[in-house]
Amino acid sequence: MSAPEPTHPLAAVATPGRHGAAGDAPLRVTLPRRDLVQVMARRGREEALARAMQDTFGMAPPAAGRSATGRDASAVWIQPGAWMLTAPRGAEGALAARAAAAFAGLAAVEDQSHGRTTIIVSGPAARAVLARGCRIDLHPRAFGPGRAAGTQIAHVSCLVHQVDDAPSFELTVFSTLAEPFFHWLLEAGASHGVVIA
Amino acid sequence: MLRIPCPHCGPRDEAEFSYRGDATVTRPGPEDGIEAFHGYLYERRNPRGWQVEWWQHGAGCRAFLKVLRHTVTHEIRAVATATEALEVPEA
Repeated sequence: MSAPEPTHPLAAVATPGRHGAAGDAPLRVTLPRRDLVQVMARRGREEALARAMQDTFGMAPPAAGRSATGRDASAVWIQPGAWMLTAPRGAEGALAARAAAAFAGLAAVEDQSHGRTTIIVSGPAARAVLARGCRIDLHPRAFGPGRAAGTQIAHVSCLVHQVDDAPSFELTVFSTLAEPFFHWLLEAGASHGVVIA
Repeated sequence: MLRIPCPHCGPRDEAEFSYRGDATVTRPGPEDGIEAFHGYLYERRNPRGWQVEWWQHGAGCRAFLKVLRHTVTHEIRAVATATEALEVPEA
């Protein structure tokens, strides 16, 4: 008997199409399938870890509040000495296995791919919609592409990562809270209209 | 609502933090006796003025931070990481 196909945590609620008001600048929502791997440096091994990340993924670990893009993965700073590696969903556990091999003895590596869900919100309405539940300042003078922050949005712990100037934000939340979070997102975006790809 | 300048994340709302008590209390050694442990657990200064306190940035970087806060005005004068020292001013 084979394992069941994994179902996207938002499969039941994220109906593709238009939700809320009709307007010419709706919030665009996409649900990428991502691998997420948490990497926590062992004490005193930060420099060796930085070299290993450079060799294996082609990027230096980003500084606090920032992200970095490498050859085939990105890293987002999440706490002192810890980063979240992200890449498009590949073979089950492959990114974690690669990171564990590259960082053996240098960092604790934990696969979070199933535990967290990433939602991308994009478009000119994105800042105004997020401001309804997010306490941090996402204005361009305070935030921007390549910036990341762990915070709460609508009382749900959320890793916010701005990827471009559209602006597009990647919101990574616990999968078990993705559904209520998504309901909040539809409500918050209703006055602008929400288009789910 | 307090606004706490996290040394890792920048200024964040109090709602992202948990208060973890007086940061000047030190745990007695294993041979110090029951009285020392009673004091460690229960006796607090409860000052009217400056106090160094633990706050954990649970919704952000998860770090334990030392915060110098005035217990009357709620002014926050300094924030440091757990391994750094914060002096309590005289006045």
